[in-house]
Amino acid sequence: MTSAAATAVLTPAEMAIGTPLPTRRQEDWKWTDLRRRIETPYARGAGVADPSRVARLIAADPLAKLPLRRVVFVNGVLDRSHSDLTGLALKDGAPALAEAEWLAAMNTTLEAQPVTFTVSGTADRPLHLMFLTLADAPAAAGARVHIDVAEGASLQFIESHRGIGAYLANPALTIQLGKGARMDRAKLELEGAEATHLAVAELTLAADAVLRDFTLTSGAALNRQNGRITFAGEGADARVTGAYLLGGAQHADTRLVVDHQVPRCLSREVFKCVMDGDARGVFQGKVIVAPDAQKTDGKQSSHALLLSERAEFDAKPELEIYADDVVCGHGATSGDLDHDHMFYLMSRGIPQAEAKAMLIAAFVGEVFDGVDHEGLRDVLTAFAQNWLTAHKS
Amino acid sequence: MADQDTIDLVKDIDVDKYKYGFTTDIEQEFAPRGLSEEVIRFISAKKNEPQWMLDWRLEAYRVWQTMVEPTWAKVSYPKIDFQSLYYYAAPKAVTGPKSLDEVDPKLLETYAKLGIPLKEQEILAGVRQQGEKSTLDEEGAGATTPVAVDAVFDSVSVVTTFKAELAKAGVIFCSISEALRDHPELVKKYLGSVVPQGDNFYAALNAAVFSDGSFVYVPPGTRCPMELSTYFRINAKNTGQFERTLIIADKGAYVSYLEGCTAPTREETQLHAAVVELIALEGAEIKYSTVQNWYPGDKDGKGGVYNFVTKRGDCREAHAKISWTQVETGSAITWKYPSCILRGDHSRGEFYSIAISNGRQQVDSGTKMIHLGKHTSSRIISKGIAAGRSDNTYRGLVSAHRKALHARNFTQCDSLLIGDKCGAHTVPYLEAKTSTAQFEHEATTSKISDDQMFYVMSRGLSEEEAVALIVNGFVRDVLQQLPMEFMAETQKLIGISLEGSVG
Amino acid sequence: MLDIKNLHVKLEDEGREILKGLTLSVKPGEVHAIMGPNGSGKSTLSYVLAGREGYEVTDGTATLKGEDLLALEPNERAAKGLFLAFQYPIEIPGVATMQFLKVALNAQRKARGEKELSVPEFMRLVKDKAQQLNVTQEMLKRPVNVGFSGGEKKRAEILQMAVLEPKLCILDETDSGLDIDALRVVAEGVNALRAPDRAMVVITHYQRLLDYIVPDVVHVMANGRIVRTGGKELARELEAKGYAEYVEAAE
Repeated sequence: MTSAAATAVLTPAEMAIGTPLPTRRQEDWKWTDLRRRIETPYARGAGVADPSRVARLIAADPLAKLPLRRVVFVNGVLDRSHSDLTGLALKDGAPALAEAEWLAAMNTTLEAQPVTFTVSGTADRPLHLMFLTLADAPAAAGARVHIDVAEGASLQFIESHRGIGAYLANPALTIQLGKGARMDRAKLELEGAEATHLAVAELTLAADAVLRDFTLTSGAALNRQNGRITFAGEGADARVTGAYLLGGAQHADTRLVVDHQVPRCLSREVFKCVMDGDARGVFQGKVIVAPDAQKTDGKQSSHALLLSERAEFDAKPELEIYADDVVCGHGATSGDLDHDHMFYLMSRGIPQAEAKAMLIAAFVGEVFDGVDHEGLRDVLTAFAQNWLTAHKS
Repeated sequence: MADQDTIDLVKDIDVDKYKYGFTTDIEQEFAPRGLSEEVIRFISAKKNEPQWMLDWRLEAYRVWQTMVEPTWAKVSYPKIDFQSLYYYAAPKAVTGPKSLDEVDPKLLETYAKLGIPLKEQEILAGVRQQGEKSTLDEEGAGATTPVAVDAVFDSVSVVTTFKAELAKAGVIFCSISEALRDHPELVKKYLGSVVPQGDNFYAALNAAVFSDGSFVYVPPGTRCPMELSTYFRINAKNTGQFERTLIIADKGAYVSYLEGCTAPTREETQLHAAVVELIALEGAEIKYSTVQNWYPGDKDGKGGVYNFVTKRGDCREAHAKISWTQVETGSAITWKYPSCILRGDHSRGEFYSIAISNGRQQVDSGTKMIHLGKHTSSRIISKGIAAGRSDNTYRGLVSAHRKALHARNFTQCDSLLIGDKCGAHTVPYLEAKTSTAQFEHEATTSKISDDQMFYVMSRGLSEEEAVALIVNGFVRDVLQQLPMEFMAETQKLIGISLEGSVG
Repeated sequence: MLDIKNLHVKLEDEGREILKGLTLSVKPGEVHAIMGPNGSGKSTLSYVLAGREGYEVTDGTATLKGEDLLALEPNERAAKGLFLAFQYPIEIPGVATMQFLKVALNAQRKARGEKELSVPEFMRLVKDKAQQLNVTQEMLKRPVNVGFSGGEKKRAEILQMAVLEPKLCILDETDSGLDIDALRVVAEGVNALRAPDRAMVVITHYQRLLDYIVPDVVHVMANGRIVRTGGKELARELEAKGYAEYVEAAE
């Protein structure tokens, strides 16, 4: 590591994990002070978990009832006994992460055991990677998964992240979409209340590939997700959406880079962030258009709904454009519930709490509606309802 | 109509020549080259400053020595050798601003060439009775409206016009050196109260070595009877210009102020690090407009002004309003973020910007709207146009603090790219620390559409004229914020700045 | 039914007084029209009765069937039987019209201690009423008022009224933005709801609407007060003479 922070004195937490953490002086970490927020000296690796506890946690998964092909990772390691691996093209190892940044470096330090899935044709069932972390003592676990979707293949892919205890989860995912391939990806970040979730996702799209991507961020005390979508072939199309449902003192920060390296690709990002209590949501989205990436169509938007006076939202919707024949734009809004909407609903007899719930559901509903899998959509809607009930203030 | 003007003006342009690139051959006095406590003492002594002012400068210098140059902006340039510059240069005859009659004719000629006929303006206004119409008025709207000018040549203010007329209204308009002499209590009270000495690297440098600049004080309940303006000219070689402007609008006062800037064509780069502080008290309004046309360097990026400027307004009390309008066409490097601190309840900040970059220019400019008071509101309209091999970045922060209940912001940033060798970037920061704040931000990046170009050219315009016309339409929202007198001039400037950007 | 006595209301933000001692009494079965020039406070009256925030009642009372309206939340007023047809119905993206109607109706029934309607019962109810008002199934599928034309919005308001069956209907400039055909449909919808136990207050600037919804009583409102009250012939007189004399008199 060449950065200045590497030469700084390591905090006990950093020493335990074995890697220095970024400081707020770094532009991308302006709003998330990892060095201050991670105080626990997490042990490196969470060891082997009790199988009966794993089984109970699997059964409690909100996706448990859906007909999915389930592959379970416990403390970052593939758990073959709880996974349905028949007929799956699976091998050890994964390519190196493209971006040499903090979270990726941590993944290397944590010695995650890399796994690569290769998908060709159309998968018979959606693939569900269930990441579970069970830690009796504070521990950090890294997971490393690569998914290669071959030319013309298509995959519905769901990842869920849950756990018990005061742990640090550091999953790193890379996805390669071949020419004309399609992926519908949904990520459910539902980590335990004391958890820290530091994730990396790097997706590369070859020509004419299609990506539909959705992330629900609602778990963990501290969340940071670094995403990068790279357009490597012309005519590809990516729609990336996300919803935050945060309360208490939760902190979530998404850094999403959409890199148009080639001409004629389309990108759309829509993030709907709901923050209650003292929660703080951050969205840093960057659209890059390289000098030759003419005819790029790139738009991003992030919208925050602050339900409590103490909730916070920070946004940095960035455009970096080096080609002239493009249509790019972004929008960002922040505010509380629309008072006119509330009044209208209440004037029709709907009580305040219910009116509020309807409006919040409608706010995040826009991104839920884009999820292709009906069963998953229902799970999301039910989850949002439960969240709202729990956060009725 | 205005667009036709633009076309005509663009047609007249002498291609490939920075119009204001001439030098004035005048004998000048310099401080010793380089920066040290001695140089600061030299500047302070030249100006007969009180001890507190010298101490203030020296403190700034000490802070500056501990600071590092900021690197977060999207600009790149060779390292500046701060010891190779002159920090003070003044025409020999000038020791302080005098009446017009005593000003070196060479200087008056310089300003006349720049389109600022200092003498004629005053005479014209003096001959005519108040309110009497000149036949000229029928021609160009507002062509003869008097505008008070403070003319700053390198490090010193050479003259300030219309001082007597302004004094009748109670308005103080003079160079800051004069203000230090005649109104030290006002300067002491407000100087550094918005941009403290150690605010940032360049502001600290300015605080240590600033040589002149304008001072305005508008008393309570007074509407300043005319536009005020300062015209900055860098002439000397290897000289930094570090002016400092301080404008105070007391309770219920109103003032509109405009600054213009040019510099000669030189192979060496020139450094300009100014500080502007605005203070608006209860119910006061300050409108500050800039037309910045420093020498941008040649086509290959040789020479040009490095423009590192800190401008900040403080809506210190309730219902105050500060509005920044800027037209940035010049400079090799621009690093500039005119900002508003919205401290008073119901105060309002505005930022209207046109930033045009061509050749090898690099612009990193924008604003900060810091909402501290309740019911504060702000509006940002930014239009960036990148051509040639330039880079044009909008960087802005909108923040609402916990107690800034019901703060509101609307931001619109549009970028236009002309040609495929330039870059346009948008880097906005939003920080909402209260749910009652309503923020709305929109940005777009596009190019001039082929359909638009075809349509306009089918009506007989050349490609370059068509671009100038369409760009003028693109920036219209902002242009309209400029004082009438400067709109036509600015439209012309936009045409000039985009020369050579097509074909 | 509705009793307003000496109502004084000012804007919370500006502190400007809009209603300056308004008194009005409406009995069950009656239709009252309130006419007046722009800025007389007609819309403020409707908003204050429905409980919109931003207004401060500084004096006076307003009761619905003897109950203090002003102490209630907007939804509680609705449950007591008050309905405001908005001059500018609010668009609410993401909230489906059918869901909205169902939640509203059942919330009101629940507040009144009545049984909630089942989904089929509710569907039938809405379908019938929608047909009468030319509200298409396609409109019902859209989010509340989103993408509706001016006329569609007004018809949707009357549909809500028909479904919710309020006791007191306030129609705020329901005729604005409607062509003659749309006006007729809306007026028929309103007339169908006239009943001995239901009262209506029709706020309008023009007499035109009153050709279709014939009022029992007409009030002239100017400068925050009712300045004249008469029969339906008063509307015609206003149409002919305009509001000038009332505006001057009130100032």
